[in-house]
Amino acid sequence: MIADVDTAMPRSTDASEPVAAPVAGRRWKKLRSTAIVLATQVAILAAFLGFWDYMTSQNRAAAFMFGSPSAIAGFLGQMARDGSLWRDSYVTGSETLLGFFVGNLVGTVIGLSLWYSRFVSRVVEPFVIAVGSIPIIALAPIIIIWFGTGLISKVAMSTLSVVIVALVTSYKGAVGVDPDQINLMRTLGASKFQIFRKLVVPASLTDIFAGLKLTVGFALIGAIVGEFMSSSEGLGHAIFKAGSLYVIPKVFAALVATIALALILTFIVGKIERLLMPWRRNP
Amino acid sequence: MTGTGVSRSAGNAETVTGGAAMPPLVVEHVTKSYEVGGRIVPVIGDLSLTLREGEIVSIVGPSGCGKTTLLNTLCGLLTPDSGRIRWHGREVSGQPQNVGYMLQKDLLLPWRTALGNAMLGLEIRGVAPSEAQDRGHAMLDQLGLHGFAHHYPSTLSGGMRQRVALARTLVNEPDVLLLDEPFAALDFQNKLLIENDTAALVRKSKRSLLLITHDIEEAVSLADRVIVLSKRPTRVKAVYDIALGPERTDMIAMRQSQDFSQYVRRIWADLDVVLQ
Repeated sequence: MIADVDTAMPRSTDASEPVAAPVAGRRWKKLRSTAIVLATQVAILAAFLGFWDYMTSQNRAAAFMFGSPSAIAGFLGQMARDGSLWRDSYVTGSETLLGFFVGNLVGTVIGLSLWYSRFVSRVVEPFVIAVGSIPIIALAPIIIIWFGTGLISKVAMSTLSVVIVALVTSYKGAVGVDPDQINLMRTLGASKFQIFRKLVVPASLTDIFAGLKLTVGFALIGAIVGEFMSSSEGLGHAIFKAGSLYVIPKVFAALVATIALALILTFIVGKIERLLMPWRRNP
Repeated sequence: MTGTGVSRSAGNAETVTGGAAMPPLVVEHVTKSYEVGGRIVPVIGDLSLTLREGEIVSIVGPSGCGKTTLLNTLCGLLTPDSGRIRWHGREVSGQPQNVGYMLQKDLLLPWRTALGNAMLGLEIRGVAPSEAQDRGHAMLDQLGLHGFAHHYPSTLSGGMRQRVALARTLVNEPDVLLLDEPFAALDFQNKLLIENDTAALVRKSKRSLLLITHDIEEAVSLADRVIVLSKRPTRVKAVYDIALGPERTDMIAMRQSQDFSQYVRRIWADLDVVLQ
């Protein structure tokens, strides 16, 4: 009897309810299309590597010039065995993470707080554009002079590559908040700080995370360029050294490690994004 | 007939001393213009109106006549060029207290659940979280959103979202509600239902409601008085006291009554809409 009532209840009130239960068939369909996309990607990669390996196996000069997937795999194995792969990845990874963190923190804090004052943001704008247009690589020699050849100079390079992008994206997010929404907050009696904390900051999260995803790559480039200039370890160092010695497959091997690093960092940012913005998850 | 009714009662209120008996909102000779490309465009030209306690007043006017400018001026988001706006007999600078404001856009914060959105005003005013939650829950339940408190807006239908917005407005227990076409984006069914609920809640708690709308039927069925505005620069063109009996919370019964279509026809004629 009671069970009857319980099952009848939702049915009688769901006239305008949009929340539909996930259908098993639809989920299966989605899974299948994802699998097809993945299979196509793997096929393209395999075809590319196969073609590359075949062409370089026919011609020693080409093998020297372009390396070959099998030689690259060989070097990766060797680097993993002698530990240099892990050490270099760890060094570059920590430089990148530190630069990524510091650059985004500083950039985002400045970018969001520029929302507070139209006057300050107008004053600062040309300077931001000017600093943003400097090619970071041009600063590398000065950074080495200022911060030495160790970890700090790479973190500085990485930070510099990130900070302006983070500043601009978070500022764009903050000023892009719907003025009607600000008016609503005002009619509810919100102070400027309350509007900032309860509306502007969360509303900017979407743009901030778009910036984070973009700057993972920039932070990595900054660290590697720093290593190119002067270093004794790191993936950039490995690439530079192997390039100087014409060991092309080893250059590619270090590049593969770099790409893997970028993918891992991007993946982590995506995870954090989903954790911090649960309302954007699909129901 | 209607004109004398308005001026007589307004005069009565003026003579009474003490804030409690003052009408919640008196607008006197307000004008407002915008500057567009170096030219001054008058939007509101000498507008006066009174909203009495516990009264529902609808404002209708031709498209683009400056209804929204009027509303924004009333809640202190814009400053009038001249004239006075008095809340409970006093002129205020900035946002008036105890006024609820609601637009056609629900303006729900997507990162807050229905409850979080409903609680927003209480949170801003520093009400203790547990009390704010209780009041938020109670208001959502009253508006038929029981069980949806922890849903994010993206998972709610348009009608439900607008109900959450209404809950966010009503939970602060405002004396006066200013609504700007709040139901315009809803389908007819949802609109009637939410109009019913609004009328019931507002009349039960004796709040005053100023409803800006372009929907004449909505204006007549909800309001005690309908103010018709002229084209820009906007002024009051006509005022209708709506006498549709004492029981005013059933929107369908309102629409079926004999006088209803009479009012609608007269207001329609006042609006002077030119059909192609």
